[in-house]
Amino acid sequence: MGNTKLKESRPSKDTNPYAKFKEIDGSHPLKKSVPEAVVEYQVRTRHGGQVAFFNFDLAREIGLIPENHPNELTKELKEEILNTFSIVIINEYDLMNNFNFPKDEIRPNTFMATRYLQLQHPCKKGTTSGDGRSIWNGQISKGGKTWDVSSCGTGATKLSPACNINKKFYQTGDPTVSYGCGYSEKDEGLSSLFFSEVLAKNGLETERVLGIIEFQKGLAINIRVHDNLLRPSHMFNHLKQNNLPTLKRMVDYYIERQAKNKVWKNVPTDNKTVYDYFLNQIMDTFAEMAANFEDQYIFCWLDWDGDNILMDGGIIDYGSVRQFGLYHHEYRYDDVERWSTSIKEQKQKARYIVQTFAQIVDYIKNEKKKSIDDFKNHHSIQSFEKRFFDYKNRNILRKIGFTSKYAEFLLENCRKDIEDFRDDFTYFEMAKSVKGPQKVPDGINWNAIFCMRDILRELPQIFLSRGLNGRVSEVEFLDVIKSSYATKADLKRSLRRDLKIRSFQKNYIKLINKVAAKFKIAPEKVLLDISMRSSVINKYDRVTGDSITTIVQKVMNQRPKLTAEEIMVVLKEFTDYQNLNPDKDRKPSNFETEKEQSRLVKGMLQIVREFRDGI
Amino acid sequence: MKIVLYSGGGEKENRFLNKRALELTGADVPKLTFIPSSSYDAEEDFKFFVDEFSKLGVQRFMHFCVDTPFTKTLLNEVLKSDLIFLGGGNTFYFLKHLKKNKMFDHFKKFLKRGGVLCGLSAGAIVLTPHVHTASFPHFDRDENPWDMKNLSAMRLVNFEFFPHYKNSKRYDAELLHHSKKSMLPLYACPDGGGIIIEKDQLSFCGKGHVFFQGKKFTISSYLG
Repeated sequence: MGNTKLKESRPSKDTNPYAKFKEIDGSHPLKKSVPEAVVEYQVRTRHGGQVAFFNFDLAREIGLIPENHPNELTKELKEEILNTFSIVIINEYDLMNNFNFPKDEIRPNTFMATRYLQLQHPCKKGTTSGDGRSIWNGQISKGGKTWDVSSCGTGATKLSPACNINKKFYQTGDPTVSYGCGYSEKDEGLSSLFFSEVLAKNGLETERVLGIIEFQKGLAINIRVHDNLLRPSHMFNHLKQNNLPTLKRMVDYYIERQAKNKVWKNVPTDNKTVYDYFLNQIMDTFAEMAANFEDQYIFCWLDWDGDNILMDGGIIDYGSVRQFGLYHHEYRYDDVERWSTSIKEQKQKARYIVQTFAQIVDYIKNEKKKSIDDFKNHHSIQSFEKRFFDYKNRNILRKIGFTSKYAEFLLENCRKDIEDFRDDFTYFEMAKSVKGPQKVPDGINWNAIFCMRDILRELPQIFLSRGLNGRVSEVEFLDVIKSSYATKADLKRSLRRDLKIRSFQKNYIKLINKVAAKFKIAPEKVLLDISMRSSVINKYDRVTGDSITTIVQKVMNQRPKLTAEEIMVVLKEFTDYQNLNPDKDRKPSNFETEKEQSRLVKGMLQIVREFRDGI
Repeated sequence: MKIVLYSGGGEKENRFLNKRALELTGADVPKLTFIPSSSYDAEEDFKFFVDEFSKLGVQRFMHFCVDTPFTKTLLNEVLKSDLIFLGGGNTFYFLKHLKKNKMFDHFKKFLKRGGVLCGLSAGAIVLTPHVHTASFPHFDRDENPWDMKNLSAMRLVNFEFFPHYKNSKRYDAELLHHSKKSMLPLYACPDGGGIIIEKDQLSFCGKGHVFFQGKKFTISSYLG
């Protein structure tokens, strides 16, 4: 027996390295667990596609290709990708018009579009909204972890806003509607790719792009992966519809999946406490997410519908996502019919999402739906407020450059000192130009004027050079902190500003001294450590939304056209550079490492620099 | 004038030069500034720079990039250092940005007030009259995609410097060829070696060679 087992586990020479692709065939447990939450479509082969990009690293991570697979798009791999993902749904329009598609091109399984709440739909209960141009390809598992796989641009579903606003079904590719036509574009895929890979490298939860299949006229199928692609809006629609059984099954499905994926540990098994646990997890996730978005200047257009964000706080749908270079807290995106929320309003929206989950949990537990207003002062909201500021405190210590060990000590023992410093920090971060609100290409902004990364990067160096008693003058401080948006008038000194400059430094040094005293090391040593970490964390050139858009145009216009493998090389080089983790592995150096980047990446870095203060 | 030219190599190989450079500062608590040739991943080079000089007791370090915009405040602070170390990398790129930011004048003033200026590989070449030595040998030269024509450099010394020299026929062929056209002696040093200049006195570290008017000489007296 033992020998037989050994033989079985050893891959034979002719084992198909792409066998895992076969698992992605439209099957997904949600179809069975919550059938009302999905619309199933038959799909057929879509011809004319080329693999424009394939994320080899991600494919290896999720077990889609073997660990030792080279970053090479072989003929066989190309065929597998196209065979698995180059599909289009047979939608209501096709059926009504009795279109006959060759039988051998129709796949045996159905693929699901999921239903969820979306504020741009006429029905505010989510009865008609959801994936308008996406379907879920299925799941893939490796090492006890499961990932969801979905594709955008696979045809017009009946859940799109266009379909419901105009009360008609659309043929896939109908040029009279844009989003409603069911197609997606290559530049959307590339934007998501570059943005999500940078954010993922920096520890943020996000959907990631597995591949891009391009078609003529810039169209594409963009394949995305995350360990759980459910959004709050996947639950909010059933709440709005007072559909308790479906809502409960959806929540149960989510809890079970998080437990199976070991994202949540020690999940209670009894009905009484499991939902409290669920609410607590959601509260903490959204508190952390809101604090992270605010501190990393990530604009994600959160709203009451719980769309545009994943249940685990991950970023999805990069169309409206931005990362600002400064704290442009007055920026609003102009979506024609409405203005977006601003970055500082995201916290309120996250809190409202938690409040809605408190309502959901109460509904499930008591089988009676109460008003959302009844949960305004729910204990989970109070916890959210506390956790939000806990995370803000942690984030500011990280930004300064403290190691986890030092940060833990300060968080436990010096909360007041951290908050005093954060107060000074926020004063400068929030400062706006005297010019007032300005129109920007896609909305409105009132420019922030100070670059906090610059002061956090340079201040420890100056202190180190001058000694801890050698203060930075008001003029010098403003010289360091001013951004390209600051006008002469913006930099005028005032009594309050001067006091804040002094207070900023005093409170900064206080934190350094506290750590030095506790760990019995020279303050200069702490400062040196911080100085090195801060130079990575607060790198001069960090990507912004505008820089990603420009970079994608550069990649799109590159001639000769970049191959899928070349995009992978460029992406890796670019995202490695944008990895702002000071603890990442370092290559040995003799202070003269040759940094040979491709010309394209050099151009990209130049773009990042040009747009570094922007939106 | 106190200048130290490093050829290249690892930290252990350069320990002697590092110690000597620190001695030249004459400071009890010296302040050091590292200027990388490029800001790309320069934080990593800075980390290694700090690691190495920390072992020699230095505690005060600064990091300053010339290919990204910088403030007057930081530049002034850098120029108050006791030692400025120019890192290695692409010589043409480094030269381009040093010139663009008018750093030569600042460095000259820095030397005048007693500061120690060190350069490693590309950082050493830019201290010489021009950077022609970065263009050969053909099998190991710096790219010049910017097509820089004016290759004049800081002219702090009246010789040329060739880093990473390997005592081999193919290196010698190109160095001898170059020396025939040049009016200046060309000092070639292997990794771990270098030249220390103090008050116009040159001393060598490691087994160096000089190429002059088509001839090669071995420097017999050296330190370290």
